[in-house]
Amino acid sequence: MSHVRLIDIDKYYGSYHALKSVNLTVDKGEFIVMVGPSGCGKSTTLKSIAGLEAISSGEIWINGRNVTREEPGDRGIAMVFQSYALYPHMTVAENMGFGLKMAKRPQAEIDVAVKRAAEILRITDQLDKRPKELSGGQRQRVAIGRAITRSPEVFLFDEPLSNLDAALRTQMRVELTTLHQQLGSTMIYVTHDQVEAMTMASRIVVFNKGVIEQQGAPLELYHNPVNQFVAGFLGAPRINFVAATLVNLRDGVAEVALEGASTVHVPVADTAGLTNGAKLTLGVRPEALKIGDVPDAALSFDAQVRLVEQLGRETVLYVDAGPLAAIGSESGTHNFTVQLGTAAPYAAGQSIKVSARAADLYLFAPDGKAVNRPKLIAASL
Amino acid sequence: MFPRPLPEEKPLQRGLYVGFVALILILWLLPLFAVMLTASKTADEIMAGQYWTWPKHFNLIENFQAVFAQTNMWGYFINSLIITLPSVLLVLVFSTLTGYVLARYNFKGNALVFALFVGGNFLPAQIMMIPVRDLMVSVGLYDTYLALIIFHVAFQTGFATLFMRNFIAALPDELFQAARAEGASPWQTLRHVVIPLMRPALAALAILTFTFVWNDYFWAIVLTQSDAVKPVTAGLNNLRGEWTSAWNIVAAATLFVAVPPVTMFFLMQKHFIAGLTMGAVKG
Repeated sequence: MSHVRLIDIDKYYGSYHALKSVNLTVDKGEFIVMVGPSGCGKSTTLKSIAGLEAISSGEIWINGRNVTREEPGDRGIAMVFQSYALYPHMTVAENMGFGLKMAKRPQAEIDVAVKRAAEILRITDQLDKRPKELSGGQRQRVAIGRAITRSPEVFLFDEPLSNLDAALRTQMRVELTTLHQQLGSTMIYVTHDQVEAMTMASRIVVFNKGVIEQQGAPLELYHNPVNQFVAGFLGAPRINFVAATLVNLRDGVAEVALEGASTVHVPVADTAGLTNGAKLTLGVRPEALKIGDVPDAALSFDAQVRLVEQLGRETVLYVDAGPLAAIGSESGTHNFTVQLGTAAPYAAGQSIKVSARAADLYLFAPDGKAVNRPKLIAASL
Repeated sequence: MFPRPLPEEKPLQRGLYVGFVALILILWLLPLFAVMLTASKTADEIMAGQYWTWPKHFNLIENFQAVFAQTNMWGYFINSLIITLPSVLLVLVFSTLTGYVLARYNFKGNALVFALFVGGNFLPAQIMMIPVRDLMVSVGLYDTYLALIIFHVAFQTGFATLFMRNFIAALPDELFQAARAEGASPWQTLRHVVIPLMRPALAALAILTFTFVWNDYFWAIVLTQSDAVKPVTAGLNNLRGEWTSAWNIVAAATLFVAVPPVTMFFLMQKHFIAGLTMGAVKG
């Protein structure tokens, strides 16, 4: 059952087209994470759902009601902000009960709701304190508690963990996921942190330049990005891209030439509009690159280790493959990133051979669309 | 750290600095000191031309008694309160409302309205003397409390709006969004979020406005005539006429007039400083 529906949402700031015909359907109980780079429209979309931003055209439905023209307070939403937005002059309990007080509910009812929310978030002993006496994590709990107190149809989160330090962020991530399981409410969550997106979402919606590029389960998006943007946005370390030229297309196999490496054969499905000589982009994720000879390797090249990051459980290598140059890689140079799932004793300056299997290669058309292996990985999952 | 703490400076520079501060303080406080000195002397002493000598007979108490026994200062004092207190209250109410709207609502002409409020402050008040007096005469308010209250409220609200608008605009946007998302109406947001957070600013503004209105002399003599309405500042002028030579009593009355603003400042000093520096550091 659809719980939140956005129909053809357009938003202009003056002449700037911030949202371009956004359509999104959210089912009851889903945890939707909207991700994308700064200015992609994810926060604007969230604030449009909240009613804090008026949309230029389109409709917003929440729980079967058209709320496009309704005030935020009447939409059945509660919002948690990045800066917590707690009222500094009120105690924690007053902060949490503010919405109900504004709705002129009896104090007894407010007390019960506040107590229940405080118990869920384990902040019962903080209720008489003021926000400035609390730590960042506790403040964010109060902000979430303020949302719970109103028992909304939909929770909206606007980068709620961005102001916390790394350790606390990991902890709150787990707590939010637990809270979602406990309450079973519909939650829409905006972040630019793809780890939060991958770990918390039941569905990820990737925004770019005011449009939804792709939506789906985290692993679905990870393994089957519909275009180069999504492939580049999800995954850390970032996917490696290499310029490739289409040489031959036959029997569902594309033969592409790379500068400084032998030709590569990649199975493709959607060949529409591809002609020999087309400038394509080959993508391969850091963890798909292996060191040494791999049986049935489709791509292999010699490289020199430039930098090693030992993370204990894994090792990340930045390698230089000479004329075979990765496009805009993470280290800012034309290095490939290789991620090994073990602690491996490599050192800078070492010469190695890097390979990848055909099944791990992505191919993108000149317009960025993915052209190869639909559902190949999905089928093997 | 900038500026560097004084003890870290070279002794010569430190000496110069302290010297300058002392000099400026003395210059600044000299008139006040003269008033206090005069208020402590007898009329004879002043007649003898001993303006700057230490009083031979300490006559302060007697001078104050004379102020209340022989002049109408109490009446003027009450008039001043009747004029100042409602003026301050109304200025606070109006400027909170205008400041809230100008800070939070983006409507066509917002900048123009704001510019008018601010621009009014740059108008020399004196050029309005004749029109304002004529206006008050024609609406029958000349020589009443209301004439001064209305004028002061109108004139002070300009500056007060600038003050309140800037303080409210400095509040984080997300506080307002949160209040709105929780269903608070604009009035509720004003009452439950803005005003409590503006308390230090309101305290500072109250002191400033109180001082401006209480100390006003120009409009007091332009808009009032009878002793029944005159505030203390204009009343002091009357003393000079009635007691041409009694400078000791005029000085004592002057000290009396200065009591309310000074008391008010000390009572609200904490708020005043907090209000002026509020928003500089994130809380």
